[in-house]
Amino acid sequence: MQLDFNFTLYALKEISKVIPFTLFLAFTPIILGFVIGLFVAFIRMSDLKILKACANFYVSFYRGTPVIMHIFIIYFGFTNFAQEVLDISLNGIPLYVFVLIALTLNAGAFLSEIIRSGILSVSKGQIEAAHSIGMTASQVFTRIIFPQAIVAAIPNLTNICTAFLHATSIAFLISVTEITGTANIIAASNLKFLEAFIAAALIYWVISILIELISAKVEKKVTKHLRRGVVQNA
Amino acid sequence: MSSFFDIGYVFDAIPKLLNYLHITIEILLLSIFFGLILGIIIAVPRLYKIPVLKEIATLYISFIRGTPILIQLFLVFYGLPLLVGMFGINITRMDAFIFVIITYTLSNAAAFAEIFRAAIQSIDYGQAEAAQSIGMTGWQTFSRIVFPQALRIAFPNIASTSISSLKDTSLAFSIGVMDMMGRGDTLITATMNALEVYVALAIIYYVIVLLLEYGYKFIERYLNRYLVKEAL
Repeated sequence: MQLDFNFTLYALKEISKVIPFTLFLAFTPIILGFVIGLFVAFIRMSDLKILKACANFYVSFYRGTPVIMHIFIIYFGFTNFAQEVLDISLNGIPLYVFVLIALTLNAGAFLSEIIRSGILSVSKGQIEAAHSIGMTASQVFTRIIFPQAIVAAIPNLTNICTAFLHATSIAFLISVTEITGTANIIAASNLKFLEAFIAAALIYWVISILIELISAKVEKKVTKHLRRGVVQNA
Repeated sequence: MSSFFDIGYVFDAIPKLLNYLHITIEILLLSIFFGLILGIIIAVPRLYKIPVLKEIATLYISFIRGTPILIQLFLVFYGLPLLVGMFGINITRMDAFIFVIITYTLSNAAAFAEIFRAAIQSIDYGQAEAAQSIGMTGWQTFSRIVFPQALRIAFPNIASTSISSLKDTSLAFSIGVMDMMGRGDTLITATMNALEVYVALAIIYYVIVLLLEYGYKFIERYLNRYLVKEAL
């Protein structure tokens, strides 16, 4: 058995066609999950006893179970429920929709933790100062807390982005043709598994490196004001 | 409602799945054990700035962090037989379990290497100098001064890596390992109760993670016992 590099090149070309779809699958949940995460983070920092307990359970359950379970439970849960209770078939819905739902709920749990730690990283004195000059609660949040919280959260957000890119590979197990799924199809039809998966690995690797580079650039730009002063230590 | 989700079946499935819990735990413990050893080896070139090895270690860590565990699993499963085949060893009939251990070891090692490096670098160099100035040897400095402090810093990260590693073991079934997840698959084929089986699996994973978190909290408290509590 010999490695067929030309086949890896061919696989690279074929797999790159699904990169946009994979990125869509990875980043839509992060954007939608951000909204969920914001709500959950607020609930967890509030005094609403019952809601708080629910939010805590949601976050801990999603963080404590593998992503593959979320995808399977959402997939079988929805299709079974529609079939048995509502008597409608969900066969027409593309499979990736279930992956999107599962990943969005997952993103909500992880992002709520990140947002919460970002918000807690803003010192109390600043909030008091903002209140003392007459800012309303919403002004304090949008002008003082949020901008600083999001900057503090950049490293964690980067990790989430790569983690979700990698999590989309699990969608292949329910036959979604993202990067891994496509690699598997190409591999199976030519019986060259290793070559195809090397191509997929290279693509994931390059995208992950790009995500890190972009985030480093963004972080450098938004923390510019922190490096200003008499001594330049950039 | 009853035909859509049968809670009774969830409780039926849990004991059947728990019979295979030891496989999951074995994968986890072995891969963490070997991962810790390999992680130390990988961290050394970057800590001591050994020329070529440092670049190799950096590339290795970047690759592992840049690719999904599922892809790594496939690369090892299909690639390793080819690699050792070049030396005339045939492992195509090797148990999938071993491939899984190898993959998770390689993956954990990269994470641990980064954790060790960060932890050891976080110890003030002045402490090592002070230790040497009172006549400690290099090994004494490391084992008595640097290591105990680095361990305290590294532990929470090692704990969270091991928890995500446990969750990752749920993918081992994709190359045919009969762990809890693999057993779940066969249960589903036999009974068609997919939703109940996956809910049962989720409950089991969740409970294990909760237990691990609880245990780690105790160890963390033990490691931090010398720290003076900050006055609030």
